[in-house]
Amino acid sequence: MKISFTLNNKKVSIDTEPTKRLLDVLREDFKMMEVKESCGEGECGACTVLLDDKPVTSCLLNIIHVEGKKVFTSEGLSKKFLGKLLIDCFDETNAVQCGFCFPGFLVTSYHYLKTDGEANLEKIKVALSGNICRCTGYQKIFESVMLACLRNDSTGGKS
Amino acid sequence: MKFYKPDNLNELLGYINNLENKFYLLAGGTDINVQIKNGFINDEEIIYINHLDELRNIEDSERELKLGTLVTFAEILNSDLISNNFPFLQESLKNFASPLLQNMATIGGNIANGSPTADVLPLLLVLEAKLELVSSNSSRVVEIKDYFTGYKKTLLKSDEIIKNIILSKDKYHLFTKKLYKKVGARNALTIAKAAIACLIKTNNQVIEDFVIAAGSLNEFARRLYRVENYLIGKKFSELDYTEIETLLRKEITPISDIRSDKEYRFQVFYNLLENFLTV
Repeated sequence: MKISFTLNNKKVSIDTEPTKRLLDVLREDFKMMEVKESCGEGECGACTVLLDDKPVTSCLLNIIHVEGKKVFTSEGLSKKFLGKLLIDCFDETNAVQCGFCFPGFLVTSYHYLKTDGEANLEKIKVALSGNICRCTGYQKIFESVMLACLRNDSTGGKS
Repeated sequence: MKFYKPDNLNELLGYINNLENKFYLLAGGTDINVQIKNGFINDEEIIYINHLDELRNIEDSERELKLGTLVTFAEILNSDLISNNFPFLQESLKNFASPLLQNMATIGGNIANGSPTADVLPLLLVLEAKLELVSSNSSRVVEIKDYFTGYKKTLLKSDEIIKNIILSKDKYHLFTKKLYKKVGARNALTIAKAAIACLIKTNNQVIEDFVIAAGSLNEFARRLYRVENYLIGKKFSELDYTEIETLLRKEITPISDIRSDKEYRFQVFYNLLENFLTV
């Protein structure tokens, strides 16, 4: 079945099994290796992407789910103002350890920054509760997102 | 894997009416893709329905709220209609899976998957929800308390789908205190070891009405009528907790599995109920 969608702001289409997982299409057909697979059951968030601007686990989506929709992966983030801000904050606070969960955390954090953005630790914890870091560096990750929220506030929330 | 994508609800119902093969409806995909991954779904036909927006409405009327089967948990958590009418439902579902899964998982899917641990079931049971089941040539409304008949067994016929979940506003506002608690290993993404939902109406220390439902403690989520019948009409000072424990043991038949053992499940459920009645 031919499925068309927007991938990181580019229109793309692919002829494949409609039940093929979005995660597999992104990694195998589009070579987007930043989308990671860990649990494959929606528990770890390593494969998080934005679907029509909402964070979802791409391991639990089939390619048919994205027909006519917008998919956004962490790859495009460094070109976005808020994405760059986030990456700098993760970098400065040394929040990234092994790095495997990082693309998922970035996508979810970016969504939080864009839609809420309040420097509120409890809210950030809830927003990131679907992403797991097995190096268990959560404090640094929360600090990074807090820092990004504060910096974004000081720029007047420009995105 | 055979695949079909209908253009609308009528086409879907006509198609499954003539289908002999076993099939699964693919909505948000959060349960079904785990089952595919674990090899539980192989030759069955997959019918995609997540694009059928006619199944995604929340309809408000004077006496009830109708939720389309494809309403997602994120939509429930953000809906003003639900926060105005059933704030308890919204508050209780905040810890449903994770924000990532809330964006895809649907209320109809949580019911249809049939898991005894489904978060929404104890809530729908105490709210006395009804399900509108439709096929190409019939439509009926059943009470959620009657819907499950065994482990993953339901009243749904092979040519029917759950179209709407209907919540009545008639009794809800009469309850004076409400509890929903899911006990699991952590807060986010937890699958319940035990879940309790109860609503109580009291007047001068007398229990005038009481409804309670349990999740994860039987082969399917269910109301606990013996406990309800014992409590209704009694004063709090008359309650015999040994009797409540005995009744509870008759009503719930917890299993031991990978997530917990049965004695723990029973005890934690009893403690939650006792705490609700005494604090």
